Amino acid sequence: MRFGRTLALERVDFEAAPGRISALVGENGAGKTTLMNIIAGRLRPDLGEVSLDGAALRRGSAVSALRAGIAAVNQSPMLFERFTWEENLALGGFDLAGFDLAAVAARSRALADKLGFTLPPAGATIEQRSVAERVRLEVLRALSFDPRVLILDEPTGVLAPAELAPFLELLSRLRAEGRVIVLITHKLAEAIAVADRITVLRQGRVVARTTAAETSESALARLMIGEIDIPPAPSAPAAHAGAMALSVEDLSLDRNRRRVLDSVRLDVRAGEIAGVAGVDGNGQTELVEVIAGARRAHSGRVSPASAAAIAVIPENRDLDGLILDMPIWENLLLAPALRERFAPHRWLRRRAALELCRALLARFRIRAPGPEAMAAALSGGNRQRLEVARAIAAAPRVIVAHNICRGLDLAGTADVHRALAEFAAAGGAVLLISSDLDELFALCGRIFVMSRGRVRETAPADRDPARLGMLIAGNWQ
Amino acid sequence: MLSAIGKSIAALALAGAIIAAVVAVLGASPIGVFAALWEGAFGSWYAAADTIVKATPLIFTGLAVAVAFSGALWNIGADGQLLAGAIAAGAIGPYLGGWPRPAAIILMLCAGAIGGAIWGGICGWLRARRDTNEVISTIMMNFVAAQLLSWVVHGPLIEASGAYPQSMAIAPSARMYLPLEPTRLNPAIVLAIVLALGCYLLLFHSRAGFELRAMGRNRRAAAFHRIPIARLTIAVLALSGALAGIGGAVQVSAITHRLYEKFSPGWGFEAIAVALVARLNPFGIIAAAIFFGALDNGSQAMQRIQGVSPVLVQVIQGLVIMILLAFDTPAWARIRGSLFARARDSAPPIEPGAQADA
Repeated sequence: MRFGRTLALERVDFEAAPGRISALVGENGAGKTTLMNIIAGRLRPDLGEVSLDGAALRRGSAVSALRAGIAAVNQSPMLFERFTWEENLALGGFDLAGFDLAAVAARSRALADKLGFTLPPAGATIEQRSVAERVRLEVLRALSFDPRVLILDEPTGVLAPAELAPFLELLSRLRAEGRVIVLITHKLAEAIAVADRITVLRQGRVVARTTAAETSESALARLMIGEIDIPPAPSAPAAHAGAMALSVEDLSLDRNRRRVLDSVRLDVRAGEIAGVAGVDGNGQTELVEVIAGARRAHSGRVSPASAAAIAVIPENRDLDGLILDMPIWENLLLAPALRERFAPHRWLRRRAALELCRALLARFRIRAPGPEAMAAALSGGNRQRLEVARAIAAAPRVIVAHNICRGLDLAGTADVHRALAEFAAAGGAVLLISSDLDELFALCGRIFVMSRGRVRETAPADRDPARLGMLIAGNWQ
Repeated sequence: MLSAIGKSIAALALAGAIIAAVVAVLGASPIGVFAALWEGAFGSWYAAADTIVKATPLIFTGLAVAVAFSGALWNIGADGQLLAGAIAAGAIGPYLGGWPRPAAIILMLCAGAIGGAIWGGICGWLRARRDTNEVISTIMMNFVAAQLLSWVVHGPLIEASGAYPQSMAIAPSARMYLPLEPTRLNPAIVLAIVLALGCYLLLFHSRAGFELRAMGRNRRAAAFHRIPIARLTIAVLALSGALAGIGGAVQVSAITHRLYEKFSPGWGFEAIAVALVARLNPFGIIAAAIFFGALDNGSQAMQRIQGVSPVLVQVIQGLVIMILLAFDTPAWARIRGSLFARARDSAPPIEPGAQADA
């Protein structure tokens, strides 16, 4: 399989057996998602075929794959933004014949209860839902087909800790029913915990086939990454007493008569990485949008107000962060500070921008055909690296980053963490909003928690998963 | 870029083959028809000059469409904006007798630009401030402009005798230079080319053009990165209207010298085809406009020499547009995606067969 000049998969043989969970692990850009799309009939391979129970499937036909019982859950959810979630589930999954929305809602609730998922309020449209909620809807949709083969692309990355156990339990149950389950992941512990067989992809090639019993996390990591050393995660810097770099005062915002931001106050000082812990959908997205200047709060203040002083890395890189069908170098210019630098007097300084872009591609090890290639040509992890590179190149006083390591592999996560730590060490301020506690513990000095639109700072004594879990759940005393 | 040109040529060849078949079925000689088309369009200096004259309004309106479409602002109202510009120029033209000729001509063009800018700017304001779909508002403003023209030539601007529904002739000093008489070739084509260069620089080398294209590709990301969407929307539709309005003023100053009903044969609509065939590239628009001008001009010779209905030329135009767009799937997918899915204001990666985000 080839995309433009990039060979995405090369002579890959992959087998998944009924009654088994087969994990597919690999770095970002290794070809995992491409392989899933080929199996699900969404991409036609240049060579080779997919067969189920010995019968070859029509190459590149999503409809015949679905008829054969192959359902896939995407890492980036594909839902109709302006439709309600019930309509989305009715269209792509439940109840293909009748379009009875009430029945769809009832059946989704039954299934969601079994999984321990919380569903959005009745009649809510997709556009306001967080990524985690979208992924949950995708999972429900795929399961509604009662699929013989279920492929899940990084499904656990956005699930809340409380949702994870029932989800993994569900996978075991589906396995017991004799279904074929393919789990694409880069969380090695998870692969070892639930999968029977593990296939490792590196740069489009299968480099190992093993079983959970025979391997270990470190062995898998070495296979995935090959020769590159993983730099150690930086240790959490002590809370820094630098000058105030970002201050948010009494921010409040209502949306659909619901309070999504409730007198939010927080501050970040120069030289520190401050974290905001919380389950997605508790106001984080809105907070980031207000800080970015893309949404106006009903009351409160964010300072500095100047666009050039704050670089924001949004959670949804494909929708908010990047413009995929623009060249990579033009994507750099989306950052207000870089636009100011490379177009100070109305005209674009194209050559200088291209030069910076080339330098950033090399410095941040972004695998790209070149600065003039479309951003869509980058894999997910490389898109994220590009966003981080852009934020740092903008030389802001503060970087606000939201779930930036979601879907990133070990090397990518380490690179991103190191870049942020270096930025802070050089006197920059970072606000890291994340649903991943390990990430926050590893990087952050001070940690805030966010729950139902409210934010409060935690005490150093709260710095353990159990205490923080209580606070995240909203039990503030 | 080369392959894009190659595709255009392949599409033209395919269109030619289909047209030849249609002509043969109609009982005429395909070679004779093509020869007559060529003869009428480029067969003599006079014919070639007239082809360029016919292409000129299409360049102005084509640029107007391309600038707006680059920002995913679907301006279907270039025709109305052209009429608004023509009305403004035609209204002041009769009173410019005392002005030196260059000043009078420039005043005419400025009036056209302002008239068109107001017409387009209204739709931009409606989109930016009241979230009114600009496809609908620009279409509606076409009718308003046509009725306004009809009213002014029957009423306030009617010629002195009052016998015909047409405006007073503009003063001789307001008339465009025609240096190559008897042809009507005039400096407006130079202005059109300069404006095409200007649009190219604006779109691809200026900050505003970058912001406009970013807005066109992904309105949501553009807003996230503090691109001033509302201001840009108003400015671009006003600019788009101004370009079309200049086209209207040029037509009054150089060709008609007065206003009358049915002033535009649909330049603003043909412009959409011109802009799409040129893939919104300003230089491509010059070539596409000349091509459409040649078809228009050649059709008269075709009818005269071969006895084929000039309606066939409309068939040819339709075929060429459809085939060119069919050959250009990514561009078409983008336009279609934005036209029908404006609600999501963003573009997920397009994967063949993948379920599209609406």
